[in-house]
Amino acid sequence: MDRREFLERVAAWSTGVCLVSPVFKVRDIVAAELKSRKPSVLTVARGKDCAALVDRTLKPLGGIEAFVQKGMRVVVKPNIGWDRPPEQAANTNAAVVKAIVQRCLGAGAKRVMVFDRPCNDPRRSYARSGIPAAVASIGDPRAQCVQLNPKRCVPVQIDGGKSIRQFEFYRDALETDCDCYINVPVAKHHALARLTLGLKNIMGVLGGNRGELHKDIGQRLADLNLVVRPKLTIIDATRILLRNGPGGRNLDDVKALDTLVASADPVAVDAYATTLFDLKPDEISSTVAAFKLGLGEMDLTKVKIVEA
Amino acid sequence: MLMRRLLWIPWRWWRRASQWLLLLLFLWLFRRTQYGDSDLLAGGENLLFRLDPLVGATAMLAARQWIAQCWPGLLLAALTLVGGRFFCGWACPLGTLLDGFHRLACAGPLAVWRRLHRHSYDRLEQVRSTIARAARFLRYLPLFTVLAAAAIGFSLIGWIDPFSLLFRGLTFWVDPMWYDGADAVFQWSNDGWIASHVQPWAGKHLLPAAATTFQWAAVSAVLLAVPFLLELVGRRFWCRYVCPTGALLELLSRGSRLQRVPARPCPSCRRCADVCPMDAVDPNAGATPESCTLCMNCVDACPKEMVQFRVKSVKGEKGAKGTKEGKAGGNLSRRGAIAGLIVGATVPAAAAVTAWRRPASPPVDLLRPPGVGDESRFLDLCVRCGECMKVCPTNVLQPSWFEAGLEGAFAPRVAVRFQFERGYCEFGCTLCGQVCPTGAIPRLSEKQKQSQPIGLAYLDHRRCLPWAESTPCIRCEEMCPTKAITVVRTYTAKDKAGQDVEIQQPAVDRTLCIGCGICESSCTIPGVAGIHVLRPEAPNPGTEFLLKDSERKPT
Repeated sequence: MDRREFLERVAAWSTGVCLVSPVFKVRDIVAAELKSRKPSVLTVARGKDCAALVDRTLKPLGGIEAFVQKGMRVVVKPNIGWDRPPEQAANTNAAVVKAIVQRCLGAGAKRVMVFDRPCNDPRRSYARSGIPAAVASIGDPRAQCVQLNPKRCVPVQIDGGKSIRQFEFYRDALETDCDCYINVPVAKHHALARLTLGLKNIMGVLGGNRGELHKDIGQRLADLNLVVRPKLTIIDATRILLRNGPGGRNLDDVKALDTLVASADPVAVDAYATTLFDLKPDEISSTVAAFKLGLGEMDLTKVKIVEA
Repeated sequence: MLMRRLLWIPWRWWRRASQWLLLLLFLWLFRRTQYGDSDLLAGGENLLFRLDPLVGATAMLAARQWIAQCWPGLLLAALTLVGGRFFCGWACPLGTLLDGFHRLACAGPLAVWRRLHRHSYDRLEQVRSTIARAARFLRYLPLFTVLAAAAIGFSLIGWIDPFSLLFRGLTFWVDPMWYDGADAVFQWSNDGWIASHVQPWAGKHLLPAAATTFQWAAVSAVLLAVPFLLELVGRRFWCRYVCPTGALLELLSRGSRLQRVPARPCPSCRRCADVCPMDAVDPNAGATPESCTLCMNCVDACPKEMVQFRVKSVKGEKGAKGTKEGKAGGNLSRRGAIAGLIVGATVPAAAAVTAWRRPASPPVDLLRPPGVGDESRFLDLCVRCGECMKVCPTNVLQPSWFEAGLEGAFAPRVAVRFQFERGYCEFGCTLCGQVCPTGAIPRLSEKQKQSQPIGLAYLDHRRCLPWAESTPCIRCEEMCPTKAITVVRTYTAKDKAGQDVEIQQPAVDRTLCIGCGICESSCTIPGVAGIHVLRPEAPNPGTEFLLKDSERKPT
């Protein structure tokens, strides 16, 4: 290669790279999955010891090994949305997150990333939630609780979306960078969405202007859940926020339930958690919209519920 | 009498070691002036400003009150009374940077120029000495002006205090660039070696914790550039002729017991005059012994090892030549002093210019940090150091420009929306009050802070989506930490597709609102939001429709 050729090639490649559309696309797997879907299994467990609770919840589903295989890049996505102390139930229980991360490491995950995009100041929310400290206390360099860099946001095309066609996602949560996405939301009241559960927890892997989503929140949440498909959803209902959500005002809003709900079906798990608030699954618009998109089952009579 | 060397190491080297160590200390404190996973800072982050006697003096003069936490300034003043202007030579971070800049950018090129173009270099020297003569006459002008202005409650210190210039320049200009540049490298490295090995360490120790943007950053950059540009005119030009803190220390050092002996260079040799950065030992009459910063260059340079610094006895030794001459020559000539006082006396006239003065009542959207009550007292106490803006985790504290007149420039404001940036005051954060060196922003507990309104929120029913466009939203309700925003009315409307949607309309309970601005910053409407935070005393802007009492009750 002489100099002239080198320069020509550099120019050609640069032009090509600059012109390529940076929009990501995700495989349309919903239709294929629907055909081969077996009845969803959902487990519920109650107890004070979070680590034991996680084990008991996962056992009927085949243990963590059913989801995490050796060498996988795992994302554990809690809710670290708010600068509130843990007992106010605005964030996922750190002990639950720690236990799940430990199980993933035990199953041989190559790396386990824990992150969220908080509504309050990210550093303050992280620190107050106690989750970074809990992850660090495991003492395994494969597990890291990291702040998200907005520059790692990529636009993703949502082909099956009914209300939005494109939105920005954090790369680390997409299937390009993650083999197993485990959703660990906390069950809370939310005035607009009625409740914030598993489907709404996806807000934490989005870039861009999330406020836009509020205009049609149920359908838009369902649309976004077409992109990031959790292999496993574990809803933290050890403490739930009954009113003044999603941030909560004080401890009067919190009720201790000591419960975990888990399933591979993101819709079924939301539907069941709704009943913890004495509401019906069809009262939550995102659950209904996700069911209609074929993301899962919302009729709890058709779901195999195991009390573990 | 002091030894010529300490432990066989020349004094000059001790001085340099002290300079660079203290510069590193300053940078370390600067880096620590940020949220670090704890609601309480370690303390001492604002040490430099509390050490500056001019900062304390102007704040106390303007606010007519004793500020206890400025006691290190008194200590430095007392030490200067005894030991002279050592701070400028041995400790000042700006002075150290200027020395470094001189060695890097001035000394080498100037020497080359001098060798190659002797004639034009000599012309430059003439121009420089002319400027220096004029500047010497005006030496105390900045100090007198700032003090006279402070005495009538007109804050100008932010425009000229060396540490404010340095700290703000670093915070507003250098840090954001530094962060962005490093981040670009990390992004380029993606998951490579730099990202895995350098990034964690650099992120913890070298880089600011988060990306920041500041309004009017370029103004602060230009102001910081001034001392460095003046360095091109002459060594330590800023320190000799402009710096008001230096001038104050210089005045205090007039009674110093440390004297250089001999005060004048020997007739046959002027090495000490050549190496003096402060023009303190000049063979001509223009020498200014009191601007000596005890840098010890002359002690080390004297080929005969004659130069010494001696502690003058209280009675006054006959042998100490410096005594008499120190008083005869010097910067503070009678003419200079009178000129300074006259100009200082014209400050009240300048302060009467409306555009320069703070307005009688501040603009309704000019929000001040939490706990700041009276605007006028705040402007008196605030020394525009920039500490609060550096420490603010959400970057919502921004420098004012002329919203409160020329004198209000660089004072912090809570800028919820500016340009394309948004921010809000974090509910549980009390850092700004912890770093304020003069107490302009009071130190508040978390509980106190959460009950002190910065402002009050008013909905704009003409813009708010659920009110104006029958579109679901209530993002403000979701975000509000005190739940001052509640849903007051719920009804069903048709959306574009003709389907029923539930519309929840928010309202603000201003007995609970603390004006943190998270509603305005997170409002889904781009540009001008549908809810605004105004000063607590501001009248209702009338953008909310009147509701019947029955509709006011939360559903």
